[in-house]
Amino acid sequence: MGSFRKWAWGLGIASATAVTAFSVASWQANAAPDPGKPGVTADQPKVSDPQAGPEPAAGVGADALTGDEVSRARTIALTAELKAGATDVTGKGGPEYLTAQIAEDGDRRADVYFYDYRNDRLVKQVVDLKSGKVAASYAAAGMQMPASEQELSTAFDLLLADPAAAEFKSAYRKATGKDFAGKGTVKVTAHVFKARHADAGAAQCGKHRCLQLVVESSDNTFIDINQFIVDLSGRKIARLS
Amino acid sequence: MTYRMRAAFVTALITAAGLGVSAAPASAKAPAAPCAPESTVHETLPNGTVWDLCWRMDERAGLILENVSVAYATNPEAVQVLQSIRLAQLNVPYDSGDTEYNDLTDYGFGGGDLETLKSEDCKGGSARTGSDGSAEPRRRKVLCVSAERSGLAYRLHSYDFPEGAEEPTETIYSKQGHDLVLRAISKVGWYEYVTEYRLQDDGAISARLGATGDLSPGNYYNADQGWPIGKGARDFSAMHYHSAFWRVDFNLAGKGKEIVEQYDTRTDGQGEMAAKLTTSHQTIAKEGSFTKANQRWWRLASPSSKNADRHRRSYELVTEGGDKYEGHPETQPDVTFTNGHACEMFATGNADPECPRRQTILDFTSNNEDLKDPIMWVRVGFHHVPRDEDQSPMPLHWQGFDLLPRDFTAQNPLTPDGRKDVNGQPR
Repeated sequence: MGSFRKWAWGLGIASATAVTAFSVASWQANAAPDPGKPGVTADQPKVSDPQAGPEPAAGVGADALTGDEVSRARTIALTAELKAGATDVTGKGGPEYLTAQIAEDGDRRADVYFYDYRNDRLVKQVVDLKSGKVAASYAAAGMQMPASEQELSTAFDLLLADPAAAEFKSAYRKATGKDFAGKGTVKVTAHVFKARHADAGAAQCGKHRCLQLVVESSDNTFIDINQFIVDLSGRKIARLS
Repeated sequence: MTYRMRAAFVTALITAAGLGVSAAPASAKAPAAPCAPESTVHETLPNGTVWDLCWRMDERAGLILENVSVAYATNPEAVQVLQSIRLAQLNVPYDSGDTEYNDLTDYGFGGGDLETLKSEDCKGGSARTGSDGSAEPRRRKVLCVSAERSGLAYRLHSYDFPEGAEEPTETIYSKQGHDLVLRAISKVGWYEYVTEYRLQDDGAISARLGATGDLSPGNYYNADQGWPIGKGARDFSAMHYHSAFWRVDFNLAGKGKEIVEQYDTRTDGQGEMAAKLTTSHQTIAKEGSFTKANQRWWRLASPSSKNADRHRRSYELVTEGGDKYEGHPETQPDVTFTNGHACEMFATGNADPECPRRQTILDFTSNNEDLKDPIMWVRVGFHHVPRDEDQSPMPLHWQGFDLLPRDFTAQNPLTPDGRKDVNGQPR
């Protein structure tokens, strides 16, 4: 449970909150509450407080996919054909893995999503975890899901390598009073950006995969760079006008 | 959110009392487990109501409840209410027109954006560990389960006249209610959102989204589009919208195929003392979107499951819709009914390569299918005009709706023994 935000590079602002131990008294049983005496606040009714055991290898019904199931589903979903025909956000062969979620039918099928940067399309592979086979494949252009950790990292690299970095650093100084000391000192998340009617400067976004970054410094100050859109498909920075 | 109290209040009702009719409740029978023990919530509230459900986290939708059933001390057999309930979008456009977010489908409420709960987040409750639903799932304390007081559940001052007695026997029936509360927190940029479901001991379900965290640090405009929150009239924090959608799939008594009915009441002439009102209903037979009007409401009724009075079990949607964002056609209907399709999960921004043309609820209804087993999409909007008090952190502001049992049980499921003979017109 230590560092769940892998994209909080470096000094791990988020991991500090994640590891905070949750110390609880043992609330047991479902006893009715003490009705309380006048002027005394009655106790909150109790709920059971089961302690989690180790993660099972596989879930039941529509339980979330376990770590093992996600690993298996990813391997099965990444067929030779898909691997050969697609590229990831860094330009390497094979599609960008986005996420794997349990399909709703309760049959332990995983919907595994990839983004294929070569063809700018979202790919969904339905994996039957029982048979170990891809049950169905779908792909469509102009469709976007939230960003992967690698995409967030790549997007921030692209921004830092662009002339726009000077504006980012200036905004950072203005917001925090300090000089930007490198990628490891900030937490980056993003909204996927899709151009709407009047979005000049980033009209390709939607067809292209684009991110609007949310950058938070280690002292929890947000750096406003909403004017910049990182076009991951075009590997460039667009500016909203 | 408050729901309209339709039940007539009974004050000082005089009855010939039936004393101590029923035995103590048997323990509720849980249905066969549709999920692992760690993703099961099974809790008994102080009044004897038992809620049983499965939970999980989805990377985009966040907290999802499934297989929700309820049993009561008075009706100890567990009966299913919901197949699932989940958030289906949170659309956040700023009044300037410069910025718009879709926080579920473009960012996500689950995965790494779920906060690990700290003790104050779940004080008095149980912080449950499970997968956070991320691309590489991590097990963390992400769901808070707690029981909370909900105030007075009912009250009745009753005068009974036992046979032969000269004086009436007075009984005051008064009971405090409780909710089983499920809660998760998602951090989306500077905002933090609380997904909350309150499962009440009277069978009602309240779905709410709370917003806290901080106002946008970058969106400051003029007085027409913002509110001055710093010193003087300089920093006009941007007004903006939160249009939230939920996807609700009923499965009443496990039989599904609910019938959607719309009820409307109109004024219809004058009686001897007051106006006459007439209530009529129509069955909504095809997929479509609908909007509130005065004295209009909807219910989903089981075609086959009945309560002990032989009335069809149903749940009623109690919603006010809130502020209606006029910038998009899909943020205007208050409720939409569709058939359930596996690739229709988000009310807008429904990005599924399996069905690329079905992107919003309006696409889902465009082919006007006959409703066979309805999904209910509920929208509740909130136009947020910032105020000085929003800094900092912002006090939680809430938006949501209620699902109210209607004829799910033959009487108030919390009916005390002394009132169990009250059912229908006193004769």
